[in-house]
Amino acid sequence: MADHTTLPHRFFLSISLLSILTVSQPDLTKELVSLRSSSESGVIRLSDDTVSKFITSVSTPRPYSLIIFFNSVELNSNPLQEFRREFAFVSASFIANNNNRSDVANKVFFCEIDESSDSEAFGLFGIQFLPQICLVDPLMENLQDKTGRMEEEDVDGTAESVVEFIESRTNLTVGPLHRPPLLSKTQISVIVALIAISTPFLIKKVLKGETVLHNSRVWLFCTVLVYFFSVSGTMHNIIKGMPMFVRDHQDSNKLVFFYKGENFQLGAEGLSVGLLYNVVGLLLAYVTNALVRVRSVSGQRVFMMLAMVVSLLAVKKVVYLNSWKTGYEIQTYWPSSWH
Amino acid sequence: MAAVESLPPGTPSAMRNAFGTVLSALILVLIGVLAFSIRLFSVIKYESVIHEFDPYFNYRVTQFLSKNGIYEFWNWFDDRTWYPLGRVIGGTVYPGLTLTAGTIWWVLNAINIPLSVETVCVFTAPVFSAFASWATYLLTKEVKGSGAGLAAAALLAMVPSYISRSVAGSYDNEAVAIFALIFTFYLYIKTLNTGSLFYATLNAIAYFYMVCSWGGYTFIINLIPMHVLLCIVTGRYSPRLYIAYAPLVVLGTLLAALVPVVGFNAVLTSEHFASFLVFIIIHVVALVYYIKGILTPKMFKVAVTLVVSIGLVVCLIVVAVLVALVASSPTGGWSGRSLSLLDPTYASKYIPIIASVSEHQPPTWPSYFMDINVLAFLVPAGIIACFSPLSDASSFVVLYIVMSVYFSGVMVRLMLVLAPAACIMSGIALSQAFDVFTGSIKYQLSSKSKDDAEDNTSTKNAPKDDASSGKADKGEEVAKERLSKKGKKKEREPAEKPSVKSKIVKKKALVLPLEASIVALLLLIMLGAFYVIHCVWAAAEAYSAPSIVLTSQSHDGLHVFDDFRESYAWLSHNTDVDDKVASWWDYGYQTTAMANRTVIVDNNTWNNTHIATVGTAMSSPEKAAWEIFNSLDVKYVLVVFGGVIGYPSDDINKFLWMVRIGGGEFPHIKEADYLRDGQYRIDSEATPTMLNCLMYKLCYYRFVETDGKGYDRVRRTEIGKKHFKLTHFEEVFTSHHWMVRIYKLKPQKNRIRGRVKKLKQKTSSGVSSKSVKKNPWM
Repeated sequence: MADHTTLPHRFFLSISLLSILTVSQPDLTKELVSLRSSSESGVIRLSDDTVSKFITSVSTPRPYSLIIFFNSVELNSNPLQEFRREFAFVSASFIANNNNRSDVANKVFFCEIDESSDSEAFGLFGIQFLPQICLVDPLMENLQDKTGRMEEEDVDGTAESVVEFIESRTNLTVGPLHRPPLLSKTQISVIVALIAISTPFLIKKVLKGETVLHNSRVWLFCTVLVYFFSVSGTMHNIIKGMPMFVRDHQDSNKLVFFYKGENFQLGAEGLSVGLLYNVVGLLLAYVTNALVRVRSVSGQRVFMMLAMVVSLLAVKKVVYLNSWKTGYEIQTYWPSSWH
Repeated sequence: MAAVESLPPGTPSAMRNAFGTVLSALILVLIGVLAFSIRLFSVIKYESVIHEFDPYFNYRVTQFLSKNGIYEFWNWFDDRTWYPLGRVIGGTVYPGLTLTAGTIWWVLNAINIPLSVETVCVFTAPVFSAFASWATYLLTKEVKGSGAGLAAAALLAMVPSYISRSVAGSYDNEAVAIFALIFTFYLYIKTLNTGSLFYATLNAIAYFYMVCSWGGYTFIINLIPMHVLLCIVTGRYSPRLYIAYAPLVVLGTLLAALVPVVGFNAVLTSEHFASFLVFIIIHVVALVYYIKGILTPKMFKVAVTLVVSIGLVVCLIVVAVLVALVASSPTGGWSGRSLSLLDPTYASKYIPIIASVSEHQPPTWPSYFMDINVLAFLVPAGIIACFSPLSDASSFVVLYIVMSVYFSGVMVRLMLVLAPAACIMSGIALSQAFDVFTGSIKYQLSSKSKDDAEDNTSTKNAPKDDASSGKADKGEEVAKERLSKKGKKKEREPAEKPSVKSKIVKKKALVLPLEASIVALLLLIMLGAFYVIHCVWAAAEAYSAPSIVLTSQSHDGLHVFDDFRESYAWLSHNTDVDDKVASWWDYGYQTTAMANRTVIVDNNTWNNTHIATVGTAMSSPEKAAWEIFNSLDVKYVLVVFGGVIGYPSDDINKFLWMVRIGGGEFPHIKEADYLRDGQYRIDSEATPTMLNCLMYKLCYYRFVETDGKGYDRVRRTEIGKKHFKLTHFEEVFTSHHWMVRIYKLKPQKNRIRGRVKKLKQKTSSGVSSKSVKKNPWM
């Protein structure tokens, strides 16, 4: 912990030293600036060569700090790439906010090292887990040093956490984050215009009674759909962010679809039980509403038998799964003499 | 009855009708008895005692009401809780339940039945569940006829979800509120079917009763407007709809504003805005229909443009005003609980105090199986039955099930609102299925016996028509019934009648094969039997524990853990009547009700800062905690500890929530300090902050003396720090099974000595220790 408190001091010291030393290594900074301006949202992609050029082979104190995002495209992980985009927002915002202050803007560069293409450079830092962000301050010599790392519990994948990390370690302010709006202004205006134009037509249609809303089959379908998703516990999966399935702890090739224990469920599990819940009711409804109209008696008979077998199996399966998952055993309360 | 129409007029049919009515009444009485008696397991297995937490508060309020009368109750300022703030009970409590129980007690006493207030409170919930099942009968009867009504009532009488909130002793708002909810819906549908102002007024009064009883009334005041809007949008507007809705909004809102806890919220908060918006829309639509009626079609086309544009402008203005109002309030005018329904991730992100309550968690699929059991299978069939044909009433129950099933998916607590809807739907489905199957069997048996059927032209189809007159029209029964009533009122739209009639003519009740029907019938009966078994099991085993007395069954017999009452009794006998007791908020209501001592926080979590203060104290080291408690005049600290007997819902398991809630207000408390690598543990790997916080110390003080190792049976591990002494607290009471431990704050000796010494060194003159204040913050 003591290291952290001294970091800003180290930074200050290095900045003051820099003012003298920058003269000797101005071309490196310039090169970084040009690399930055050519890259998207100002995140410089570091390769094995550039790491040695800008970090390892430069004598300390270096005239700049680097904030490095460790990425791995091969890992193909969505949260990681999400975080990478957030990181790009921070970089772009930092550049935009300090656009006319080159003394600040040229002190910190946002970089990225990809494990899949530049594993050598990646290995230099001794990174154990991803996502990871590291600040290489001007005085840093041992790249394996963990003091420059973002702490594990602070890595939550948001741009705000990165900003907090930078601001706490460097005494620089990133300023307000500029996220691209969900919809651009032209898109919004087009949508508003479309709504405004279509309103009279919609009202006319509603008054005439010709919309999809007047088709009760649509309502029926939506109702059953809402019911299906609710009883399968979809809201639980959304709120708690449960995956569809997980890999087995012991055997990574085996997939686990059903979670034992009452308080959690996996996505696929919920949906399959929701299907079982629904199939019985839908079959019953079909038999009582539609099958009675079928003229062929044998057809009726075959379908009914099929429906009953399916329903019986579905109910049995749910009962079995329920007692397996919760561990409850329902007592039947037969008279004691029957046992 | 509508059935009269389809039967030939004469004595047999009249007899049959009368017999049917008597049978229905008898079945309803039995359903009432079933609903009442299935909830008595808790009294039989344990004793006639109030359960859990909130019921103790309600019981205390009822006691106050019966002792001091209604006016005293209305103005009651309770200084026994939320010390030093206190709480205005009359203005912050939903009075429906207490007034109901108080009235029952008063009536019983007036006719010389001397029951105690506690007995009345214990049995209020079972009595009202009988009422609720009768209300379900009425509601479902309005939708799909009395057969479905009886089935739905029987299902509701024993639906586990409702049992969980209404066993004897569970004296909580929901017990009466579910009845009020169903009854309000019934009266709404009744008004919609009859167009009678009488029922509309009753509806507003029922709504008033619901507002008195439970905060869940917002469900009604949003669901009914939604239904009205749905009717309007799908072109089902009728004067009956207007009569059902407009008086409800006007009278209902006026009445709701009379309830102190609601007051002006009835017009000011966003939860109610939907009803006002729809109120305006329905007037616009009514105007359109009125103008359409008095103008020629050509003139109407001109007028419609005018009216629609004016209506649009008015609506826009109102929407703008509403948006401005909503935007001006910090949470957008929505309470946290409602917001977490709309944006389900809201509470878990921003309001730990809502997220911390287990009943606010989203349920998993076994919850549905546990709480509505086989009804989950039957509901889809009920939904489809409601759509064929879709009437005003059936569209309402469809909307009801959709809304409630969605909300139950967000918060497990709202399963309670889903349960009646699921019962109604399943009742309809079961009744329809029984109709079809028994009809098929009955018809085919009778047609076999009299082979010489008169019209033998097409052996299969003609008799089916015959059957249709007997049973299949039951599906249309309601529609017909409504039509006949509407005919009396002369409010029928000309367009509706022919369409319904043509449907009746078109629909032929066809039959299913005999043996398959018999098997299907048997399977359905088995399904019903399984439901009954499950419900009885749920009532007897799962939901009857009063949680104030615990039992456990082991090989050497039944163990009873009565530690809670033991310690509350200790408090009331051994402490001064004005002493303040601090504990986590879960035990606040029980402490005030059973020990009659002042508490700092209780289950009415209205002041987050106050709760956070207690949470901070529990998460702080001993000295800091002592200072916080001392500043609140606390004399005793009560903790609940389950490590000895393995009682899992103890304070150590709730502790992370104390940290979170405390940290939300006081940032020096950080959750990470209590976790080792993101894991919550109390063994030797635990963080020093955890091992030194007050909660750990109070729970595990002298714990090692129980077994010599300090093995916690809930966390299944040996504790991290076994031998330590308390510096600022002293143990005064530990219950028989160590479940409740009470500590007293030591007087501040150390601090006085230090100060006196310092003063002596400085001035070297004698300072009398009398001048030292008891409270450092004074």
